[in-house]
Amino acid sequence: MSNPNNQEKSAQGTPKTTGEDREKKGKKEQPTGRLAEIRFALYLARRNPLVIAGAAISIISILLAALSSLIVPPNIWEVSNLAMRLCWNNPLINWHISSVATCSGAQVYPLGTDSYGRNLLQMIILALPLDLETSFEIVSSAFLIGVVLGSAAAYIGGLVDEAIMRITDIFFAFPGIVLAIVILTVFGRTLPNLTIAVLVVWWPIYVRLVRSQVLSEKEKPYVEALKSTGASPIRILYRHILPNSIYPVLVQFTLDIGGVILVFSGLMFLGFSPNPKLPELGNLVSDGIQYVFTAPWLVIFPGLTILLISLGFNLLGDGIRDVLDPRLRR
Amino acid sequence: MKLYEYVIRRLIFMVFVLIAISIIVFYLTRGTLPPASALAPYVTPKMTDAEKLGVAQSLGVAELGCPSYSAYIARASGCIVPLYQQYFSWLRLALTGNWGYSQIPGIAVGTTTWQLFADRFPYTAELATVAVILTVVLAIPMGIISATHNNKLPDHASRITALAGYSMPLFWLGFILQLVFVLYITIPRGSEQIGLLQSSGTLYTQCAICFSNPGSITAYTGFPLIDSIASGNAAYFWDSLLAIALPAFTLSFGTLGALTRVVRSSMMECLRQDYIVLARSKGLRERTVVYRYALRNAILPALTITGYIAAALLGGAVIVEDVFSWPGIGAAALDASLYLDVNFLELYTLVAAVIIVVANLVVDVLYAYLDPRVRY
Repeated sequence: MSNPNNQEKSAQGTPKTTGEDREKKGKKEQPTGRLAEIRFALYLARRNPLVIAGAAISIISILLAALSSLIVPPNIWEVSNLAMRLCWNNPLINWHISSVATCSGAQVYPLGTDSYGRNLLQMIILALPLDLETSFEIVSSAFLIGVVLGSAAAYIGGLVDEAIMRITDIFFAFPGIVLAIVILTVFGRTLPNLTIAVLVVWWPIYVRLVRSQVLSEKEKPYVEALKSTGASPIRILYRHILPNSIYPVLVQFTLDIGGVILVFSGLMFLGFSPNPKLPELGNLVSDGIQYVFTAPWLVIFPGLTILLISLGFNLLGDGIRDVLDPRLRR
Repeated sequence: MKLYEYVIRRLIFMVFVLIAISIIVFYLTRGTLPPASALAPYVTPKMTDAEKLGVAQSLGVAELGCPSYSAYIARASGCIVPLYQQYFSWLRLALTGNWGYSQIPGIAVGTTTWQLFADRFPYTAELATVAVILTVVLAIPMGIISATHNNKLPDHASRITALAGYSMPLFWLGFILQLVFVLYITIPRGSEQIGLLQSSGTLYTQCAICFSNPGSITAYTGFPLIDSIASGNAAYFWDSLLAIALPAFTLSFGTLGALTRVVRSSMMECLRQDYIVLARSKGLRERTVVYRYALRNAILPALTITGYIAAALLGGAVIVEDVFSWPGIGAAALDASLYLDVNFLELYTLVAAVIIVVANLVVDVLYAYLDPRVRY
């Protein structure tokens, strides 16, 4: 399992590649080692349209988030314009609801306006950096905690292992979102607290995952060989075992970007937003629910954005998993 | 290790998990919230300050030397009992079943926390059961079709459905379903258009395909579906079924992906085994090979995941219950956290933890029973 790509390559490598690929490879020196693995992985990913779609959605959402302050004035969410409240003037969609108000004026609001009279499309674009950044922060922190604690538990073993794993067991027995809710209730509804609350719920998964990977990796013959050369345990762990066991954790990382956005926006939706006007996807949905039967776009579009982003990262992670796991290939 | 030794060991460990969880929640709530919230479940608003102080002292949260109730509220020195001592006096009360009165507004005054929990739990259990049944009924065929038609259209369709389930913000799906079934799919009745279903709550009072006045039932168990059968009230049963349909579907959509994926991969694994090749070479029909030979072995990992899903849903689906105003323990826990009902939160997290730990244990034991290769 450590190096699935090598096994797969020897089993079905070149004959399976297309003529075009063979031509390219023929011109250059046949690449070996990591480079060949990466090329082969990219080749496999190219064949799967779902991975391409996932990668495209993820990259577009990250780019939009990075450039959002250039597209939309960053402080415009603080400005209310109650005259333009809850109205719709995009001719492409007819809601078939008699009570829908039409926005006056020449400016077209592609996704209508919200209960503060703000342009919903602008709010969604402004919300992207907050949701994605928070999600990356949470998942990377969980990843780091998982790598440190999980590898320590697996590699040192004994009492350390027992202690770390029993603590994760406790967190696994907690109803996750309620722990987050209690933390937010007790320490107050601020963005850093929201991040911490989700992180507290999330880190145990990574500890378990890294531990199981390192456990199966450390029994391999090459570790024995390294030991006999006198390499230090830290070096063996961080330079050899971890790089070889990190792929499934990276898959989990990609999948969790979407998962964390769901939980984070879910908490915002439940009313744990620090500011009701804050442009955050869950908070925008929460703002819209009382108008769901008169201004349905308020709920539909922010939620659709969450679904799309989450789906993008899940498709990408799923595709990476398929590429890395030879049993699921073909 | 014998199986029963393993079970006993796990049960002992569960006690430690419960103690740890109760300590974490206790320190989080009592350690930081104002002292009044610790006392609130045990006093009534009519009590004088002196009486409240007396209750606080008898409960072991205020020191006996504390001069007045206001001093206790202000956390004056020498008034607040150290937290670890408070924990033990709280634990003694909790173990004797005294969880105080509920602090959630809208609940009849004088309802005990325990009573509230007992009233609400059947709703969550019923919702979780229906959702798990829906998940299994949908996910197992999807997984099988996905595995037998690997990389063809049915496979792609079921994988995308599964992934959409993973990626779905359930609070959003809940509202979209309500929007569709209440606002857009309507049936004319008289002069007005009436939505197919009504938006939320336990029973619909006005919708196109339900009884507006289904009568009443006797609460034998607290589960509306079971009670309505026991009371012989078919109209009530139908209405309850309609009421649970949307929330249960929403919940199951979120868990669909996990089960489908497991069924698919274990089915693919099984179909590659030698005994399947043998079965095929004997000339057995493909249907027999898949459903009689492969499925039996492929279903085991699915059992594990179903157990986890059931436990997670029984522990309360806070968001979905909130969206559909479903009166379960998850929605109540959300209210409890908003109104600082610390005892309800304790009770809720502990019961949820018991459910999760016991469900995992049951799944493990069942697994060992069904698959003789697994031994502990």
